[in-house]
Amino acid sequence: MLSEKQSRDLCRKLLSYVKADDAVVSVSSEDYSHLRFAANGFTTSGRREDASAGVTVWIKKQRGSASANDLDEASLRDAVQQAEQIASTAPVDKEYLPTLGPQAYKPSSDYVDATVNLSLSHRAQAIDEIIRGCEKKDLIAAGFHHANGSTSGVATKNGNFYYERSSLASLSVTARTADGGASGYFLRNHFDIAKLDARRIGHEAMRKALESKNPRPMEPGTYPVILEAQAAGDLIRFGFDARNADEGRSPYSAPGGKTKLGQHIFDERINVYSDPWHPELPTSPVAQDGIPAQKMFFVRNGVLENLHYSRYWAHEKGKTPTPGPVNTILESTGKTHSLEEMISSMKKGLLVSRFWYIRGVDPRTALFTGLTRDGLWYVENGKIQYPVRNFRFNQSVLELLAPGNIEMIGKSERISSSESQGRGAELTPALMVKAFHFSSPSDAV
Amino acid sequence: MNLSRRDFVKSTGVLCGAVATQLPWTLPAATAEHSAVNRHDLAEQALARARKLGCDYADIRINKYRRESVFTREQQVLNVSRTHDFGFGVRVLYKGAWGFAASHIVTPQSIRKVTEQAFDIARANSRYQRKPIKLAPAEKVVAKWKSSFAKDPFDVPMEKKVEFLLKLNELAIQAKGASFVTSGLSFQNEDKFFASTDGSETEQYIIRTLPFLNVTAVNRSSGDFQTRGTLAGPKTIGYEYLEDSSWAEDARKAGEEAAAKLKAKPVEPGKYDLILHPSHLWLTIHESVGHSTELDRALLWEADYAGTSFITPDKTGKLEFGSRICNFYADRTQPNGLATVGYDDEGVQSQRWPIVKDGIFVDWQTTRDLAPLIGATQSHGCLHSDSWGSVPFPRMPNVSLEPAKENVSLDDLIGGVDDGILIYGNGSWSIDHQRYNFQFGGQTFWEIKNGKLGEMLRDVAYQSRTPEFWHACDALGGSSTYELNGAANDGKGEPTQANAVSHGCPVARFRQINVLNTNPSKKTT
Repeated sequence: MLSEKQSRDLCRKLLSYVKADDAVVSVSSEDYSHLRFAANGFTTSGRREDASAGVTVWIKKQRGSASANDLDEASLRDAVQQAEQIASTAPVDKEYLPTLGPQAYKPSSDYVDATVNLSLSHRAQAIDEIIRGCEKKDLIAAGFHHANGSTSGVATKNGNFYYERSSLASLSVTARTADGGASGYFLRNHFDIAKLDARRIGHEAMRKALESKNPRPMEPGTYPVILEAQAAGDLIRFGFDARNADEGRSPYSAPGGKTKLGQHIFDERINVYSDPWHPELPTSPVAQDGIPAQKMFFVRNGVLENLHYSRYWAHEKGKTPTPGPVNTILESTGKTHSLEEMISSMKKGLLVSRFWYIRGVDPRTALFTGLTRDGLWYVENGKIQYPVRNFRFNQSVLELLAPGNIEMIGKSERISSSESQGRGAELTPALMVKAFHFSSPSDAV
Repeated sequence: MNLSRRDFVKSTGVLCGAVATQLPWTLPAATAEHSAVNRHDLAEQALARARKLGCDYADIRINKYRRESVFTREQQVLNVSRTHDFGFGVRVLYKGAWGFAASHIVTPQSIRKVTEQAFDIARANSRYQRKPIKLAPAEKVVAKWKSSFAKDPFDVPMEKKVEFLLKLNELAIQAKGASFVTSGLSFQNEDKFFASTDGSETEQYIIRTLPFLNVTAVNRSSGDFQTRGTLAGPKTIGYEYLEDSSWAEDARKAGEEAAAKLKAKPVEPGKYDLILHPSHLWLTIHESVGHSTELDRALLWEADYAGTSFITPDKTGKLEFGSRICNFYADRTQPNGLATVGYDDEGVQSQRWPIVKDGIFVDWQTTRDLAPLIGATQSHGCLHSDSWGSVPFPRMPNVSLEPAKENVSLDDLIGGVDDGILIYGNGSWSIDHQRYNFQFGGQTFWEIKNGKLGEMLRDVAYQSRTPEFWHACDALGGSSTYELNGAANDGKGEPTQANAVSHGCPVARFRQINVLNTNPSKKTT
């Protein structure tokens, strides 16, 4: 992978070829490996190394971009030439703002060498152990282990430069009973492979499968639910874009051409913020266009405190460009409750392990549809009574987190949404809510 | 399922006749360097090394990809970009375990190193492999293939593309009440080289065109907003696809209908007869038929991500998938199909085969390592990877619904409905992990009463279960109603990869399907 010096030198070289009035150039590299298993066997396994150079230029405010994955001199020169050719005949970019000059970044660290240089034999052995564990319990294992390291160097014609390096290892395991009647799943990731507990991941998937045997049907409807952190993280997505809100086409738009800024949109115990130096979720200290990221709140005590202003939209509206978000942390402002406490206090309701195939239905209310998957249990009088067959839901996230709907909030955990395959991460808590809408039954296991 | 969810699209070649400056889509030095690379010789080196290491089988892909994109909103161009991507990937089979490695550095030294990496991975995994992978035999093939196109979009000047989009935007935003419009063009070129230790060698050149446009109408005082996207889809085709007046017509209509949706009547939830236009139905086919008949899903290979299937191998030839008028076929030779190629990514020639015949499920989508698992002697040619750096695995071919043999029109189907809804275009979509329970939205919805088309409806989605849904199909349009649509970013696999795939179908009628009102201020069932 490219070092900081190599990245800086390549960026300098790219800029030296630029004749345009302004430019931003980048070079990146990646080292990626994976092992996939299913039906208690290894299916595919591989590794990939790649690099790329990107150029965006403006000539008299006319914009053009090009990229290539060769880093030799001829290819870099050609990429610049292509971008300038495009820019020379493109219309004026009405949203052009000059690229940034030198910035100062407070470093953040989410890179560990050992994650990128993992041992093939150790990985194969760890996965084999999980498969053997499943075989002993008459379960069928499937899963996906992957690890990568990546670097990125970016420079502007106005003198800014930054370099970042990150690593990530992830493991998901699905365990199914041999009769196909029950299934369990668990996914975790970490930038430090030493902190990826493969045994725990395998154990949790197996436990959920065994505890999901012989599910009973239930009528769809509106129920109190406990969402495990995985389920909450799968469903809850925030898009705090100011321009969409100002243009009237966002769940954060309000009648009369206004936005919901300053309104109490969520339960007062909820904070949503971004912090690149959070010890559990370190991430890039660089926000949009190279602006140094800051810890910042989007929702504080349930109140919509900030929307994300791009540099262009901030310029249009007389605001400061938003230095985030670079990650997402949803957290309780006060006392937290464990999953066991939530279950103990539930009179009647459902415990949801995770959600799947979540898609937007109505952007005005952040209404989403999707399915429960790999673990759904009926709780009554403080105890898990039996597993339940899956449901489709139609649920507004705004309604889910609204004042009056939240009963308890758990301690935020590092999770990765199922559909991301462990590529990203956020801090999300388990949630106990009064009302969640299940619209139809699903036979899927 | 789709990665970030699909593309929708349509046409007109309205140019002012201004002289356009030709922007050659060439990277002179880079192209010269890539052309100087002798892919055959490099492949021979990789395969020879793999044989020497003791691999039972090996193949290599040395591929170049060009992409060009133009994105606009209203009368401004947001970005114009070109990317160029070149590299190779080696796949080996050693003692029944796969290993794969890839690099963007295409030199003899790198070829040797990467082949050895692939072997190391296969060897490390082979110690734990319980059921060795076996490959169905495939005919040795040495061939070249080119997709069908009249105008290479990479030779068309950028100004022409920008002008096309800005003109569509202008037409769309003219409608009273239309507030915003975004549009774009993407073009893909794949230049693929494949060789294997079986002696096969193929070279394929593919061009795809992917347009889209979306209009938003905002009612500022109420805070309501509605959208309408264009109805046609991406295809394996050249720039000639865009030189058609129907794009201008649909852009205009998109603006009008986005505004009209703000005032449309909210649907009453309940059971309705549905008539689904091909611009909508293709996605239902994709999710409920295309994905449920992927053999790797049925064998649990996709269990950790996209899921499995309600169809299992023992149901082949027996399962009543749908009504007797339902005939689905897979076809990698279908003209302009996004998944249409000459050979798949392990050199198996493209073919057409039935998936559902007279309502009965009859066959699967297979690859060389899947076919033996159901006793099939040959692969149907479904192996694919989305990049030189991606490990190839089973992907969906074009899967289409045959039209009625009779000349049945849309009006004929509408005439047979007392209380129903006609749906155009794609909206929200979601299906469960065994392809049973699904829910789909759309772009525009029209009431049908007593055999006649009525007023526009809004907030419509329908929910059903795959076998019941296809059994409820009681009428199909004829070939004059048949259209091809599709998506270029269907997501599957770990790591996830994109697949471009098309689905053709006629208009179709379905009886008594559950319809929801998606506006949460109303009760939904």
